[in-house]
Amino acid sequence: MDLTFIVVLVIVLAIFFDFTNGFHDTANAMATPIATGALRPRVAVAVAAVLNLAGAFLSTTVASTISGGIIKEGPGGVDITPAMIFAGLIGAVVWNLVTWLRGLPSSSSHALFGGLIGAALVGAGLGSVDFGVVLSKVVFPALLAPLVAGVAGFVATRLAYRITRRPVEKNRRAGFRVGQIFTSSMVALAHGTNDAQKTMGVITLALIAGGFLRTGSAPPFWVIIICACAIAAGTYTGGWRIIQTLGGGLTDIKATQGFSAEAATAATVLASSHLGFALSTTQVASGSIIGAGLGRRGGSIQWGTAGKIVIAWFITLPAAAAVGAVCELIAQFGVVGLALEVVLGLGVIVGIFVISRRRPGSSNALEVDVAMNSVRTRSERRDAEKKRSEEILATRRRLSDESSLFGYGQDVR
Amino acid sequence: MIDWGAFIVVAVVSIGSAAAIVALFACGLRLLAVEPRRGAMSALAYVCFAVAALGALYGVYLIIPSLHPA
Repeated sequence: MDLTFIVVLVIVLAIFFDFTNGFHDTANAMATPIATGALRPRVAVAVAAVLNLAGAFLSTTVASTISGGIIKEGPGGVDITPAMIFAGLIGAVVWNLVTWLRGLPSSSSHALFGGLIGAALVGAGLGSVDFGVVLSKVVFPALLAPLVAGVAGFVATRLAYRITRRPVEKNRRAGFRVGQIFTSSMVALAHGTNDAQKTMGVITLALIAGGFLRTGSAPPFWVIIICACAIAAGTYTGGWRIIQTLGGGLTDIKATQGFSAEAATAATVLASSHLGFALSTTQVASGSIIGAGLGRRGGSIQWGTAGKIVIAWFITLPAAAAVGAVCELIAQFGVVGLALEVVLGLGVIVGIFVISRRRPGSSNALEVDVAMNSVRTRSERRDAEKKRSEEILATRRRLSDESSLFGYGQDVR
Repeated sequence: MIDWGAFIVVAVVSIGSAAAIVALFACGLRLLAVEPRRGAMSALAYVCFAVAALGALYGVYLIIPSLHPA
């Protein structure tokens, strides 16, 4: 089979994965400022997109292994073929879209690892996957990330409320909204430096596997530009469903909590990536929001939603692996298999988009509008309602003015 | 298999730095809310904000790899 063709397919799919990664993770940084009204939804996603774009250019040293040691690659291990990477990417993209459809924040990198594991298990046998590394790099961090972030968010929120407490006079906590813009921006920037890099790595390794680049070479400049643009575009599209879950579905977030939660997220992500214990940004963000929710007196957590999120974390890897395995199985039928794989993958992606448009709104524009309305603050909602009723009144007046041919509606003005 | 030492360091640093930044910012806000407004209090509040901002800048320094040797 023509290797060039598969490499092109891998690059296209990797860019699409980067895009889904972007809109899947907008919520990590921007759910809380949108929920508390610190930033307008469109402004928030625009800020996140710009910071992701900048972040992608700031950090371009890609990993030398595609799976970070989960699959025994390289000399003495298995050879990861571009076809395997393609199957793995389909698994990752499909699972990212499914969790987005359900509004569940799940780790995009775990989905990618899962897809690759599935493909490697089918393509290279059981011995190709190092399950010890799976346990220490995926399963334990998934348990510990929300714990650390949760405690950090809880302590920070408690402190913030305690320090700004004024028993007699009115509390002045509006300033936390301003602070929130900065802490959220930090999270968005950190995301850009981490996640765009992952896709650059996948594309670079596919190019190396296809013999277009020498082993150990840095990503070409066009790869950097495309990855940066894809993740920024994805971020700007905004995964409103996930923003809704993190911004309002878990707990009712106030500005003080939002500031504390994002500070906890930023601190945990930075500490974990610089002190050698990698944690998933998505899981950290969810954990600190839960911590912040528990930290406010009178705050409550929707444990049903939290439970669903945790379940999604733990099935992300096996689910993506199952899809990746099926794709690799199909791919073993040569060119026909590959064509079938492409058709099936496209079918699933289009299918999910169709479903997403059907529910809850009838159109995407409406869905975005509904999501944006539902994450507004209480006062904003009240204002919006007032404005809407005024508009209706004005429309009625206008209509009656226009029908004033027989003298009707003159007195209304 | 799992590096508990690194994990504990990460946990302590995360919780500590998040608490420190948030506490500083909250102190700044609280000092600005002191009535009647006095210059000294406001100045102290801005010192709090400045230190919190320095913490954030350190975070940016950590995020951008070209600023520090890997």
